[in-house]
Amino acid sequence: MTPDSPLVQVITVCVLAYFILLNGGYLLLNFLAMFALRRRAQEAVLDELPQVYSALEPPISILVPAYNEEATIAASVRSMLQLSYSEMEVIVINDGSSDRTLQVLTDEFSLVPFPEAYRIQLETSPVRAIYRSTRFPNLRVIDKANGGKADSLNAGINAARYPLFCGVDADSILQRDSLQRLVRPFLGDPHMVASGGTVRIANGCEVRGGFLTRVGMPRSPWALFQVVEYLRAFLFGRLGWSVINGMLIISGAFGLFRKETVVAVGGYTPKSIGEDMELVVRMHRKLRARGIPYKIEFVPDPVCWTEAPEDRKQLRNQRIRWQRGLSESLSSNWGLMFSRHGGVAGWLAFPFFILFEWLGALVEMLGYLFMAVAWWQGWISWESFAIFLFVAVGLGILLSAFGLLLEEISFHLYQRPGQLLLLAAVVIAENFGYRQLNSWWRLVGLYRWARGGEAKWGVMTRKASWQRDIT
Amino acid sequence: MESILDFRLPANIYLQAAFWAGISALGLTLLVGLQIIALRMSMRRTQRREQALTLKWRPLLNAAIAGEELGNLPELPWRDRVLFIKLWLHLQQAVRGEASEGLNAIARRLGCDEHMRKLLVSGNRAERLLATLALGHMRDRESWPALARAVHAADSASSVHALWALVQTDAARAAYEMAPLLLRRDDWPLSQLGNILQNARSEWQPVLAEALSRTSPEELPPALRLVAALRIDLPQAQLQAYLDSPHVDVVLAALRLARSPHVIGQVRRHLESTDWRIRLQAVRALGELGDRSDVARLRTLLSDPEWWVRYRAAQALLALPFLTEAELAQLRDSSDRYAADMLTQVLAEKEAA
Repeated sequence: MTPDSPLVQVITVCVLAYFILLNGGYLLLNFLAMFALRRRAQEAVLDELPQVYSALEPPISILVPAYNEEATIAASVRSMLQLSYSEMEVIVINDGSSDRTLQVLTDEFSLVPFPEAYRIQLETSPVRAIYRSTRFPNLRVIDKANGGKADSLNAGINAARYPLFCGVDADSILQRDSLQRLVRPFLGDPHMVASGGTVRIANGCEVRGGFLTRVGMPRSPWALFQVVEYLRAFLFGRLGWSVINGMLIISGAFGLFRKETVVAVGGYTPKSIGEDMELVVRMHRKLRARGIPYKIEFVPDPVCWTEAPEDRKQLRNQRIRWQRGLSESLSSNWGLMFSRHGGVAGWLAFPFFILFEWLGALVEMLGYLFMAVAWWQGWISWESFAIFLFVAVGLGILLSAFGLLLEEISFHLYQRPGQLLLLAAVVIAENFGYRQLNSWWRLVGLYRWARGGEAKWGVMTRKASWQRDIT
Repeated sequence: MESILDFRLPANIYLQAAFWAGISALGLTLLVGLQIIALRMSMRRTQRREQALTLKWRPLLNAAIAGEELGNLPELPWRDRVLFIKLWLHLQQAVRGEASEGLNAIARRLGCDEHMRKLLVSGNRAERLLATLALGHMRDRESWPALARAVHAADSASSVHALWALVQTDAARAAYEMAPLLLRRDDWPLSQLGNILQNARSEWQPVLAEALSRTSPEELPPALRLVAALRIDLPQAQLQAYLDSPHVDVVLAALRLARSPHVIGQVRRHLESTDWRIRLQAVRALGELGDRSDVARLRTLLSDPEWWVRYRAAQALLALPFLTEAELAQLRDSSDRYAADMLTQVLAEKEAA
């Protein structure tokens, strides 16, 4: 190949066009998100006033799947029981834990066997026993054979008494008014079938009594990068799609669903890795195919905080798992793409996810590789290579900066000037290595998905430093 | 290796476009950065103003709540009015009766009523919402036409709060003018309507019943569900007509309103419906209305194919005040497995509660 070779020129232009299209798409989502946040800011006066319950809010079942969570489960359940909402129940599903999860729950909440006429709407691994707390009448624990997170959620749905259910990760730290915020889309729209809230990084924050009391910054650079990543992913990634009813994912860490609809589409797919996204994509596909009007909305309020991996190995495993989950969710719902009644979800969101989220890692890595090799071999001028890096990094920084701007417009949780400066530094630094590393991990995830293999619970060593503060 | 100083823009037009895309991204990033700094500075300024305002006005507002006579009031600069009203609203939400009147008096003395009326008409959306809340607390009759227009707006948050303000100002007039609209708006959160009409049921009950009678069959089910959720009773003849309706959704909604012994015959008939949702609602109603003769009916439904019907039948049996625990235990022991399991569960739930 020579510098003037048409093939080199075509590939160079394609790589550049891909990066510009990818970031341009995200920029558009940014503007949509800004519109939504502006509207939300106009209603801030209502949020600031004390909230009054009428007892007419739809009751909610909180489902907490737990697998080997002995370190954090008691504190998590205690904080969930303290959520401020008019009527709710908490159902913990012990998915055949091999540690003391069930024993901890029994001791902490005085569990006794409960003779439940268990209703099987969704098939699951066998349920061994159901317990109820003698101290908290609205707490039940399902003890079942191991079947995975999706299977546990299905068991929780079977036992849920209320029309809405909220799937929560056992290690999530919720805002006290999180249910109240997440349920809002359901209150005024009978077609609402699911709502998801913003998840933020809890590392470095202060937690007391199971609730977040002070927002701080993590010390680990890995966790720090994720703070900016989460801002980007939630504040415009999801909010932007939500504005046009094209949101394809609701985080498993905290999402609210209409039970009847979830059961009608078959519940969570057992053995699935990305069960949260797969369910949402399937809901889009099936509800659209059946011509049922529906809405899926994103609530930008920071309602849930989660512990992020603080070392490279765990982060890598998490990203590989996420990419496999994404691959599963998209590949098992091909029918949505360009389907007759696909709407925004089928004609815009699904192809966007295929092109930029699913295959993005492959194209990005090949792009970087090609440009580097082409420059090294003298196929392209160093100016062309420099322009490529300048555009890729420049647009990356711009997107993250927009994420920071949206945070500043809406919630400005990171109030100290030092925190803002640190985030600004991360916005720039993450483009020099971290994002490329992420693309590489996603590529590995894609490869592992293509190779096949059984899904397992995502194992992460919880540091749960916030637990020490529980009073 | 070439030096950075040797950089020359390539002749290729696509590469040139990419270069300028990068330059634009850089420029936009700088703008975003400046915007963040400006927002942060503006937020700090507002916070400082808020603190100063609270320090100055909180004691005076507290005195107004306590019913103390206030002499000359300090001047309230124009730019602080919105901040003042926010503070004032916070306090209004927590007080009732004379204390609320005390706050209204101070707001009127400061000319806030006039300012809020202006904002209601010509403010931006956030200001209109603020003005709606403030004028509702002030029960400002002068704002009635503007608020009545706002109730018809498509914007759910603005319109439902305008309805609240009207109900606060004159519940009877609001009922008369807004009842048909209330039955049609399915975007108004039920929980919020519950709060709004909490203290105005007597004014709304007859008007809503009358408005229901003029509602089309398509709009009737959600309207009836709303009336049921608000626990508003309908005249007996009207309810009986709905219970006899050929439309499943109307019967379902009407069964939620069946709280009078006069409709027990119709409720019992619906226990035999082929639609499990109707059986479910009928069972639930029978839990409130049933007598001894209904025990056998409910016992049959303990073996219903639908889990929820069995569950509600067990709950209904437990709710009957004349059934003793011994009778319930006997019922459980003499029933089939489905019924026995369900009764066992519901008895355990009752024990746990």
